[in-house]
Amino acid sequence: MERRELDYVVLNQVYVSVNGRELEHEASGNALLTELYRNHIADWPKFFKMDTLSKAGFVASELLFKEIGECRPGSEEFIQARAVVLFGVTASLCADRNYQETIQDKDNYYPSPALFVYTLPNIVTGEIAIRNHWRGETSFYVLETPDAAQMAFHLACAFQDQVTDSILAGWVDSSRNDDFQAFMTVVRREDAADTEWLAGQLKQMINILNNK
Amino acid sequence: MQERSVLITGCGIVSAIGQDCGQVLDSLLKVRTGVGPLKYLKTEHTEFPVGEVKLSDEEMERMMGIVPGTPTTRTALMGMIALHEALGEAGLNAQDLMECGFVNGTTVGGMDKSEQYYLDFIGNDSRNAYINTHDCGSCSEMIADKFGRFRIITTISTACSSAANAIEMAADMIRLGEADIVVAGGSECITKFHLNGFNSLMILDHNQCRPFDAERAGLNLGEGAAYVVLEEAGHAAARGVRTLARLSGYGNACDAFHQTASSPDGEGAYLAMSKALKEAGLKPADIDYVNAHGTGTPNNDESESQAMKRLFGSSMPPVSSTKSMTGHTTSASGAIEAVICILALRNGFIPVNYAFEHPMENGIVPNMDLNEGCRLRHVLCNSFGFGGNDSSLVISAAE
Amino acid sequence: MEEMILKLKQEIIEVLNLEDIKPEDIDNDAPLFGEGLGLDSIDALELIVLMEKNYGIKLQDPAKGKEIFKSINVMADFIQKNRTR
Repeated sequence: MERRELDYVVLNQVYVSVNGRELEHEASGNALLTELYRNHIADWPKFFKMDTLSKAGFVASELLFKEIGECRPGSEEFIQARAVVLFGVTASLCADRNYQETIQDKDNYYPSPALFVYTLPNIVTGEIAIRNHWRGETSFYVLETPDAAQMAFHLACAFQDQVTDSILAGWVDSSRNDDFQAFMTVVRREDAADTEWLAGQLKQMINILNNK
Repeated sequence: MQERSVLITGCGIVSAIGQDCGQVLDSLLKVRTGVGPLKYLKTEHTEFPVGEVKLSDEEMERMMGIVPGTPTTRTALMGMIALHEALGEAGLNAQDLMECGFVNGTTVGGMDKSEQYYLDFIGNDSRNAYINTHDCGSCSEMIADKFGRFRIITTISTACSSAANAIEMAADMIRLGEADIVVAGGSECITKFHLNGFNSLMILDHNQCRPFDAERAGLNLGEGAAYVVLEEAGHAAARGVRTLARLSGYGNACDAFHQTASSPDGEGAYLAMSKALKEAGLKPADIDYVNAHGTGTPNNDESESQAMKRLFGSSMPPVSSTKSMTGHTTSASGAIEAVICILALRNGFIPVNYAFEHPMENGIVPNMDLNEGCRLRHVLCNSFGFGGNDSSLVISAAE
Repeated sequence: MEEMILKLKQEIIEVLNLEDIKPEDIDNDAPLFGEGLGLDSIDALELIVLMEKNYGIKLQDPAKGKEIFKSINVMADFIQKNRTR
């Protein structure tokens, strides 16, 4: 059976591409995420409150949907059939460091609730779900490396419930504010029926990520 | 594909109310809280009652036969104790584990040591061994490796629903035919990092927490670990191992409302519970008890009440939160409470919602009677995490 | 007072990451929560931290926050009366 190739976005602190096409940009580091937001999204001011992990995941997902041409449901509509399953290795380390700074010094001790909120790697899945009105399954797995076979396996598992039709899947990682990497794709139920093929697709995205 | 059923053939637990299933059962039947003043965590914030495991790290190391000086973390030690009990009950040895999966839910990982040795990491090399014990994945491996080489190890980090999601993931793996046995649950210790964090969100109670009480003022943090051994039915029969309970359904849904607050009508919770019932092929009226997420925060208990009222209507079963006894064990809570549900199913009682006094205006009225001698068929176990990550398990009596 | 209000607006914009908002965009009597700037519960908690950090005012009850943060004028007035820094 002829399978469609998966659409994907890859980005890190100096690079961003959609289905292999590099997007022009001037900034790098965290400023790149802001530039991409202003140039391609621009209608979600909550973006500025997010930590780097959430910003990277959010921007990657938005660029992907623009490419696919997917429309968001109306503000009163919610979709259960779309899941969000993301993977990473350092989890919320970047946010953890930022929050720790607010409690490190006994003489300048002001724990920040806005920073604490992001000291959980799955908040990025919540941010994307809130933006898109998705009420399906969400999850975040901590893997030692972006292992395509393991990721494909977890995604296949997520289709076990009879509700999920498609999954926004990807690798999102950030250890410091100016250091992040992500790839994002949408996997449909039929894509996950052949986990070997799916792993092959994910491997291509991982290769791009590793080589940029 | 013929449906593969998921049984529970072992469970283990360590918490503020007991260091194994027997002790936890005893506390539940005596309605004895484990929440009290901070004793083990070295912090200045001693004003918050917590549900600490009543063991020092050194005591846990001795229990697990760990050579003093070996780099370990509190989360990993608690995980080992609980896993040890679960594997023992299921009759699994190191050789058996080579075919098994292990799915662990944690968010803190080894952070208790990182925050203790942070300045050493920067200033000298005396504690460098603890740098590698920091992250969640390493924590899972440390717990698992104590007992053998599992074929698959995965870590889930989705805040307070982590352990519940780990159990769901494990069940998915069995149903997909990837494994016949997968051990799942979670472990989390209290740290200054998240004690301060929860305090900055102003959701901690300065006194004993009171889930579903009109005057509730927040949660008490807890710590602990619990694991269940999930096993495919045919495989368990062939092994001749005793079935403790059945995992007959589960569901996960996103509240999609706010990063940390729950929606007023508890939509995510409602969807998760509905999904779990549908998977189990059950109606709301089939549920004999709900172990609620019930943290004791004004927000959660209101939201969860609305979701349950909408789901159950006039056939509301007994509901209780056991967090007033164990504290909120965050990433481990889904598994700790699943084990409490298994104890309730097997021993015929309904856990009491300790510390409840005043009914909420529009909330559920929780269960205050042990109902000893009752027969429970199906129970619902809720775990809701930040990020709107809502999970629900249906655990049923072994046939 | 005007100088203090300008400083307060700048502090709020910075602490709450209101990236595209300038002090002149914030009406002194407009509600900060609900409509207006559309701030949420986490923002309210950050404002409580700001009050302590910059003005030495400790608020123990988050519910009180909703009254004090009604508008810039109400907030500035409260700070003027209670600041210890």
